Amino acid sequence: MNDTGEHNHLDQQDVGPTEAGLSRRDFLRTSGAAATVAALAEVPAALAEEAPAQSPAKAIGPEPVQLTLDVNGAAMTTYVEPRVTLLDALRNYLDVTGCKRVCDRGTCGACTVMVDGKPIYSCTLLALEAEGKKIKTAESLIDGGKLDAVPAAFVKHDAQQCGFCTPGFVVAMRAAFDQNPNATPAEIEEALSGNICRCGTYQQMRDAIVALCKNQPGLGTRKKEG
Amino acid sequence: MATSWPKKRRLIGAKVQRLDGPAKATGKAKYSYDINRKGMLHAVLLRCPYAHAKIKSLDTAAAEKMSGVKAIHPIKKVGEELFWAGEEILGLAADTEEHALDAVRAVKIEYEVLPHLVKEEDALKNDPQTVSPVGGKRNNVLAAKEAASQGFEKGMADAAVTVEGSYGVPTICHQCLESHGLVAEWNANGELTVWASTQAVTATAAILAGHFRIPANKVKCITHYMGGGFGSKFGPDIQGIVAAELARKANAPVKLMLDRASEITAGGCRPSAYGKVKIGATKDGKVTAYEVDCYGTPGVGLSDTVTFNALPYVYPFEHKRKHVRIRTNTQLQRAMRAPNHPQNCALTEFILDDLAAKLEMDPMQLRLKNLPQNDPNAMQNAPHSLPALRHTIYTREIEIAAALSKWKEKWHPPGKTPGIIKHGIGMALHTWTGQAVPQRNECTVIISADGSVTARTSSQDLGTGQRTVTALVTAEILGLEPEQITLQFGESPNGASSGSGGSTTVPSQAPATLRAATAARDDLFAKIAPKLSAKAEDLVIERGKVVDRASGKSWDWKKACAALGEEKAQATGFWTAAESNKPENKDVSSSGVGGVQIAEVLVDTETGVVRCTQIVAVQDCGMVVNRLTCESQVAGGVIMGLNYALFEERIMDRVTGRQVNPDMEFYKLGGIEDMPKILVYLHDMPERGVIGVGEPPVISTHAAIGNAIFNALGVRVPHTPFTPERVLAALAAKGGGQ
Ligand code: FES
Ligand code: FES
Repeated sequence: MNDTGEHNHLDQQDVGPTEAGLSRRDFLRTSGAAATVAALAEVPAALAEEAPAQSPAKAIGPEPVQLTLDVNGAAMTTYVEPRVTLLDALRNYLDVTGCKRVCDRGTCGACTVMVDGKPIYSCTLLALEAEGKKIKTAESLIDGGKLDAVPAAFVKHDAQQCGFCTPGFVVAMRAAFDQNPNATPAEIEEALSGNICRCGTYQQMRDAIVALCKNQPGLGTRKKEG
Repeated sequence: MATSWPKKRRLIGAKVQRLDGPAKATGKAKYSYDINRKGMLHAVLLRCPYAHAKIKSLDTAAAEKMSGVKAIHPIKKVGEELFWAGEEILGLAADTEEHALDAVRAVKIEYEVLPHLVKEEDALKNDPQTVSPVGGKRNNVLAAKEAASQGFEKGMADAAVTVEGSYGVPTICHQCLESHGLVAEWNANGELTVWASTQAVTATAAILAGHFRIPANKVKCITHYMGGGFGSKFGPDIQGIVAAELARKANAPVKLMLDRASEITAGGCRPSAYGKVKIGATKDGKVTAYEVDCYGTPGVGLSDTVTFNALPYVYPFEHKRKHVRIRTNTQLQRAMRAPNHPQNCALTEFILDDLAAKLEMDPMQLRLKNLPQNDPNAMQNAPHSLPALRHTIYTREIEIAAALSKWKEKWHPPGKTPGIIKHGIGMALHTWTGQAVPQRNECTVIISADGSVTARTSSQDLGTGQRTVTALVTAEILGLEPEQITLQFGESPNGASSGSGGSTTVPSQAPATLRAATAARDDLFAKIAPKLSAKAEDLVIERGKVVDRASGKSWDWKKACAALGEEKAQATGFWTAAESNKPENKDVSSSGVGGVQIAEVLVDTETGVVRCTQIVAVQDCGMVVNRLTCESQVAGGVIMGLNYALFEERIMDRVTGRQVNPDMEFYKLGGIEDMPKILVYLHDMPERGVIGVGEPPVISTHAAIGNAIFNALGVRVPHTPFTPERVLAALAAKGGGQ
């Protein structure tokens, strides 16, 4: 998902013949994935303008295409169908499982990762859209035994029970502090308002937030909490 | 030999951080959903889209030919009847999830659509008989259960004041964030390993062994981390069995985790309860009789939707009760965190405040007048039991809650604050058992010559902190720190254990760990004493060392363990309800807690929006093992209860028979900004031994919030969730908010 919440990766593609020899129209027609069709349903008008029927379109898929992602500083390569979300590429194809799949449609925040520093629901971004961008998951917040201040505060204040929502909260909170190391507790809570916890760990999360905000400055740069 | 907790406790009762905290917070912990095996296939289920239908034809030929499809496992056959939208028809495994989803759409299936019923209240008018036959009958409405106490008629006749009302709570969904499911893998020897998201590791393995008719020791269930169950995850379920079937057919590992819509429509729901209640009392507020006539739906099942014998709830009123189960074409209800107690609590606690209003009494005073008395028999025979202490406990808890919430200053007669945004305060009580289970629970503690210590159990940690409890108890006995204990958790071959339900895991497991650690320590002493030129009976543990009381000599833990040489010191401890009941083991674990919650709200009478601003939760829980995670459980229960009060409801469509909110957008759960300030007070009573606390704190929150809204408005909003629409409707019925 981009900032306005639309899937628009096709708008940014060059219009030209594809490796698979399919036009964009063919791609739209032949793709069996309801999810992809639904996502694309918003753009046909723009497409029609941009890509007249006669012009050869550069389309990809529906067969798997090569995907290289920069995940936590490492280049990872696999093959996925273009309809695969960033979340599913990470989890099912690259075994990066810190981001969790819960609602799979941009409601719960369990799949939150940072893309070029911004917190993103990875279930709402196609994997191919994330190529060339820096992806960071919760796994990047521990380096050897060294725990980042945000997850350290979650541990210290017991802001997790089953923990399934936790990596999503941790990434969203880390991103909020990165954006504004002097954020107030209310601003951090607002940054977490797109995340849901079923076990009910918000009270302890607030304790963690208050402690982190008190320990300013320095949250913008990672450090181990004493 | 008698078992008892150490008199001096260094770790037990302290705040100890979760040992798996860093792994979970950084996404390193592998949940069942996260298991990726080499060559693993992805499976999906085909589900019935109709609430009631018969399969006319089923053709998988096209699906079988789809790209990547490796196996199909039929669940239902042509001609079979399906009784709810979401019922499983077949499972299919393919090389990728994308291919599996494509292929399941290629299954050709025709249905004969049959009449359905999804709204329980509809059946009260006219029973359409749309469910599976029981004793040859397809009735949706089952025969009522009825009972009355001897003094009921007289009690109601003697009442100076009576109040009547209708109250209710809807069906809600468990919404576990990690959905139900598992990864199944067979090896060349015909042995099955599953990584299951379950609350019952050993039962899951046993059920799978039974299904495949293979010896129990050929199935291994692993649950290292679990993303929420709340009562809905016992055993492999149909999807677990199908995954294992598909894995066998395809000769490859298979992952089958439910998608979100399936998780909500098929992964469990709490049954509804709606009732008419009448209460009678003397002028000074002594309740003389209570009558309830209620119904609810267990879905396609048969179970009660209230705890029949515990109505009225907590208070021992003379009573008459009636309960009708209405079977609907909706998924089978499952146990949900203190099953049926929130329903009982709502059907009892709401009317108490309505009565107090009529009597122009403070509802706290009304409750104090009507608390159950301490049972004199129990005071003789089991002085630490809840029956022996209930009056004392509730009275004390109400005092504590009143002080923490400043009840005296804040309470006002209902609806008597000026302005558009009105303040209210309300309270409710609850109870739960939380004792050791009859089944055997084991823990094994192994001390090696290098000083390392392993604690091993098959029991699971659902996020309650059980892992840390096991380490903490072991470390307490051996004079170590919890981080020094290596834990082997959640694997079925690790010994006997029971499922985590009913708040039974700590009272079942912690005493087993206590015994294992104590016996392993004694084994260590016996083995090292000769080499240390000491007598085993003179050796004792002090923090980080072994001390010979006779000579005064001491050895650092590692040095002392080094004397084991080639040997290990090891012991397995077990615990059961029967052990707990033995006189020599008294006060190791016990049963029965009370709790009091007080909620404060602000209600906007123009928009109907309710904002909960504070909840005080006072909870008794016997001996606290880990104060940090215990407080988390209580706060988490309160938050779940707040969701019941303000947000959660399964909404069924009468026409299509399907749930209209099987997602997380329209099935609402609160976020951090919706949360009130929560004050948790643990009413610690170590003399009572260990009692489970996972469930009780969820029970009374919605009732306390409902009563706070009543206090704000002077008008009862009868049904949860207290949405703006319902608040406005209640205000309109009474002629507006001012
Ligand atoms: S899984 Fe992406 S927001 Fe819920
Ligand atoms: S800790 Fe379980 S969902 Fe948040």
